[in-house]
Amino acid sequence: MSKELIRLQNLVMEFDGERILDDINLYFNDHEFLTLLGPSGCGKSTTLRIIGGFLTPTSGKVLFDGKVINDVPPYKRQVNTVFQRYALFPHLDVYDNIAFGLKVAKLPKDEIDRRVTEMLEIVSLKGYENRRIDNLSGGQQQRVAIARALVNQPKVLLLDEPLAALDLRLRKDMQNELKRIQQATGITFIYVTHDQEEALSMSDTVVVMDKGRIQQIGRPEDIYNEPKNAFVADFIGESNILDGVMLADYKVRFFGRTFVCVDKGFAPNEPVDVVIRPEDIDIVPQSEGHLVGTVTSVTFKGLNYDIIVDFRGFKWLIQTTDFHAVGSTIGIRLNPEDIHIMHKSEYSGMFGDYSSYSAEYDELTEDAGDEEE
Amino acid sequence: MKKNNAILLSTPYILWMLAFTLIPLGVVAYYALTDPATGVFSLGNLRDLNMYWGVLWESILYSLISAFICLLLGYPVAYFIAHQGAVAQKILYMLVMLPMCMSFLLRTLAWVGLLQDTGIINDFLEMIGIGRMQLIRTPGAVVLGMVYNYLPYMILPLYSTIVKINPRLIEAAEDLGCNTVQVFRRVTLPLSVPGILSGITMVFVPAVSTFYISQKLGGTDTVLIGDVIERQFKQGNNPNLGAALSLVLMILVFVCTGIMNRFGADEEGGVIA
Amino acid sequence: MKKTNRILTILIFIFLYIPMAVLIVASFNTGKDIANFEGFTLHRYVELFQDAHLLQLLRNSLVVSIISTVVATTFGTVAAVGIHNLKPRMRKVVMSLTNIPMTNPDIVTGVSLSLLFVFVGTRMLGQRDALTFWTLLIAHITFNLPYVILNVMPKLQQMDNSLTDAAMDLGCTPLQAFFKVTLHEIMPGIVSGAIMAFTMSLDDFVISYFVSGLDFVTLPVEIYSYTKKPIQPKVYAMFTLLFLLIFVLMVAMNLLQIRADRNKTVRRSKVETKAMRTFRRVAAGALACVLLVISGYLIFFAKPQEQITLNVYNWGQYIADGSDDSMEVIREFETRYPHIKVNYSTYDSNEIMYSKLSNGGITVDVIIPSDYMIARLISEDMLLPLDFDNIPNYQYIDESFRNTSYDPENRYSVPYTWGTVGILYNTKYVDEADVTGWEVLWNEKYAGKILMFGNSRDAFGIAQYLLGYDVNTTDKAELQACADKLLAQKPVLQQYVMDEIFATMQNEEAWIAPYYAGDCLTMMGENENLAFYLPESQGFNLFIDAMCIPTCAKEKEAAELFINFLCDPEIAGANMDWICYSTPLSAAKDYMDPETVFDPVSYPSDEILAHGSSYAYLPEDISRYVEGLFMEVRNG
Repeated sequence: MSKELIRLQNLVMEFDGERILDDINLYFNDHEFLTLLGPSGCGKSTTLRIIGGFLTPTSGKVLFDGKVINDVPPYKRQVNTVFQRYALFPHLDVYDNIAFGLKVAKLPKDEIDRRVTEMLEIVSLKGYENRRIDNLSGGQQQRVAIARALVNQPKVLLLDEPLAALDLRLRKDMQNELKRIQQATGITFIYVTHDQEEALSMSDTVVVMDKGRIQQIGRPEDIYNEPKNAFVADFIGESNILDGVMLADYKVRFFGRTFVCVDKGFAPNEPVDVVIRPEDIDIVPQSEGHLVGTVTSVTFKGLNYDIIVDFRGFKWLIQTTDFHAVGSTIGIRLNPEDIHIMHKSEYSGMFGDYSSYSAEYDELTEDAGDEEE
Repeated sequence: MKKNNAILLSTPYILWMLAFTLIPLGVVAYYALTDPATGVFSLGNLRDLNMYWGVLWESILYSLISAFICLLLGYPVAYFIAHQGAVAQKILYMLVMLPMCMSFLLRTLAWVGLLQDTGIINDFLEMIGIGRMQLIRTPGAVVLGMVYNYLPYMILPLYSTIVKINPRLIEAAEDLGCNTVQVFRRVTLPLSVPGILSGITMVFVPAVSTFYISQKLGGTDTVLIGDVIERQFKQGNNPNLGAALSLVLMILVFVCTGIMNRFGADEEGGVIA
Repeated sequence: MKKTNRILTILIFIFLYIPMAVLIVASFNTGKDIANFEGFTLHRYVELFQDAHLLQLLRNSLVVSIISTVVATTFGTVAAVGIHNLKPRMRKVVMSLTNIPMTNPDIVTGVSLSLLFVFVGTRMLGQRDALTFWTLLIAHITFNLPYVILNVMPKLQQMDNSLTDAAMDLGCTPLQAFFKVTLHEIMPGIVSGAIMAFTMSLDDFVISYFVSGLDFVTLPVEIYSYTKKPIQPKVYAMFTLLFLLIFVLMVAMNLLQIRADRNKTVRRSKVETKAMRTFRRVAAGALACVLLVISGYLIFFAKPQEQITLNVYNWGQYIADGSDDSMEVIREFETRYPHIKVNYSTYDSNEIMYSKLSNGGITVDVIIPSDYMIARLISEDMLLPLDFDNIPNYQYIDESFRNTSYDPENRYSVPYTWGTVGILYNTKYVDEADVTGWEVLWNEKYAGKILMFGNSRDAFGIAQYLLGYDVNTTDKAELQACADKLLAQKPVLQQYVMDEIFATMQNEEAWIAPYYAGDCLTMMGENENLAFYLPESQGFNLFIDAMCIPTCAKEKEAAELFINFLCDPEIAGANMDWICYSTPLSAAKDYMDPETVFDPVSYPSDEILAHGSSYAYLPEDISRYVEGLFMEVRNG
């Protein structure tokens, strides 16, 4: 295992009496690609700005290589940042933007030239040296921002929602690009995003945050498959979350039926949250179903249909490749490994009900997330 | 760190402004409340103000009329400029600015040459057989002088407001069935209210306090508050009464701009275009 | 609607530019009257560049506006950065403070600053000249600062905050980040703020008018007193040149901006970019250097330190200025005494001069008030006793002008001129049969064409002669009656005037006016329709104006040298020839135009002079009472 590089200890951040970060404990390993994931206002950008040195925490410690760096100003930290809207200097051209940090460090001219040229090659912007920043496309600006940070050979690169302003296609390309660059340079990436897909596909480790607290830390697969609470379950992918009671190990009761599951270690008759992922649900003829419900809406999504099914007044989201007409009655089957059980938490009952589901609603909230902090 | 810098950088400025704007107003108040001859505390100056309410009222009237005329004349011009191409806008804007950079004393004097009984306009009127008219030394001439001098102060803020109105909004209104007049009345005009308010303030304030315009273009009966203040300081040798009058003028202006700001202009830089 | 808009816009632009066209045309006029084009000449421009005084004023204006702009721009930019980072509530407070000079009428700002400077300088620090170049500079910086702040603040707000973060992230200290990034971003705001501040400062009249003393005056302030006198056409020439200069500057700025906008969207090759950037930097640097050198030169070298500055404060049109082939008396003095530089400023009534002196804050070395005012100044300890050893030419002063009532022991004053107050009228319009006495100034037949003295003493004097009161009465009832009489005159009056009379009587805008005989002669020289009448039977004012040194003087010896110089019969003769007043030096008449010497207007017979009376000093409370009454008359 690689060595620990940065550690955050009991980090608390308050603005005007409002607690933005609440006792954050986290460490970052060398060569790691770590993502801070959460909705807007969850404190992920604040955490990043504290690591970057732009904010001083109200209490707690930031350690770098074992040394406290709380009061070290940003220009003395071996950390560089790719800012949300790139923050490229509009009065400088591409070359001078990338060379900025090297010039401030007063490196010899030929070395600056060599390193900038090398960097331009890495981000595939050769020949763009003398372009003005406002003559570049969003993707090109993004590359310049990355090059400008990386050229200083930082130990850690902080990326604050770097892809938020790009359109979908470009975003996908850049995700691969970033992963490639990280692997090629071996620099630790700390990445902030509100896009769960981005987080899952790129990271070695994902930290899910909400309300200034860490909700779950883990590898992407673990986070997806074993969400710790209703918030994580809902935020990572789509989930139907139901109230249930754990009768015994491997036995859970909800919707008036007892199901077999793969979880254990709960107190007998403990009320729990049951998570069922929409893509895990099998649709079967009525007679074969564990549960029977009526289809109330169908949305074509390209790869599949999102259908909302009403089970005794509780609406589920089910993803299926087969078309089912509105009004038809269907049955479903749940396999034991499709049922995830979670302890009750403050988030219980807040998520997982698709009664007011609308496809546009989801996109709206995502857009709003771009404007974070 | 950032906060400390902020205080460090702004404190000298705050001290400067306190010393040279706020404290001087305190000195004005001090003079206003002391007796000119003995220098002891007295309300005599404030009592003497009673003589000048008429003058004050007249000043307000003249400058309100001027501001209103400026609005009537300035709005179409600002509207016209705002709807030209980028280069034409720049040129026209410059042409509005230009007179503001030239000595207003001489420009007002030129009006004397134009308007006086033996002036250019009257010579012309006589030549074409209409005969001479009393143009100068009338209230109209004073208003003309104010409108002439302060019209750019109206056009510029109006222009910068109108030019910012999103053309999509006009299209949207047309799409919703407004005709040209309705578009103007229901969309353009309400959206240019901040410009109108700031324009009126920018015309009203210098107009209400002017003394040169009324001295040159007014007659013996057009006396404005600015004239009185100027005369108390420069001839009447009664700076204390002058200070009291300045105080009244200042309060008047602050009340007026306060009302204006209440109607909409934003608090930071509401006065400037 | 579009079409009407276009027509209206064109009309408005014509309206805005007509007065300027009038001024520009007037600069090419051979005649002096703005309304009367007599012929084309370029001579006014030659005159302009020969007029050291006017150029000095222009230089003063440039010095104040350049320095105040540079200071306000630097100071304001730094402050704006600070304010931008303040907490919102504090920021709001500071911005309201910033808005005070913006919302306050200029006259209030001017009055408040002048009171502050006089209060602090005179009362607290005991300085004699509180109103100097420095106080004027402070005033300009103060009203320039908000322009800079209000232009820079929005740019700071628009700026992406992460730009400075990015710079610091890349190794810049906060200071480096400011110079390398923030400064570039807010530069447009700084430039427009500086330009606004510069133009406001250059054109400021009202604030400077109240704040400036006598030894450092800017162009607009002096233009104000120019516009009272018959304005010299070279001032129009200067206006025209300034107009052209500003026009060219604005066009150039706009062209640059349009080009810059265009370039933003057009790709540029590497060589061009670098070259252009270098060029721009060099140009900006050069411009800054030039400005610095000019302002440095103007401040430190323009005025040789070893020279003495003598502040002379005199009536308008009251010393030969070189026009009409006369002797330029001040230049002559400076040539003879090269270590002295005369700083000459004018007033147009005793009361204005008194106000300026008693308000404090200024230095004056020589004043030339009238008799009654001298008595008042003596009684208020505002004059210094003269050292007559330094004024040997006093020997030429006629016996009859010594041991006068206002200065019985000849300690404080040396007579400069004397004269009468009579009625000047235009024979073309005024029936001579009507000109029988002071009452013609109340004649409704000439309503709107009559002028009246704009100072209380002369105005009340006329009412007193007309009503048959003693001109030196202290009876408040009589004074009130005079005020009523003056109030009754208001409907027929065209204007209260002092120096303005020259222009209005000469171009026949007004037809009848009371004035000092000497000036009446000057005007009669310009317009042959004018005639002078002295109401012997009713009585008239006989005055002496004499040179004195006030207590606020700094250069007493130089002042005495100057007084002595003016008493040199040869100089006095040349001087009197131009100002047309009567001289108290009989010896001077040898050097004068014989026609003037025998002119009955200048030198009436003793018999007539016997009807005249002089103003005496009135007690302080009566002076104030008269002043108050006159204010009521004028404002009522």
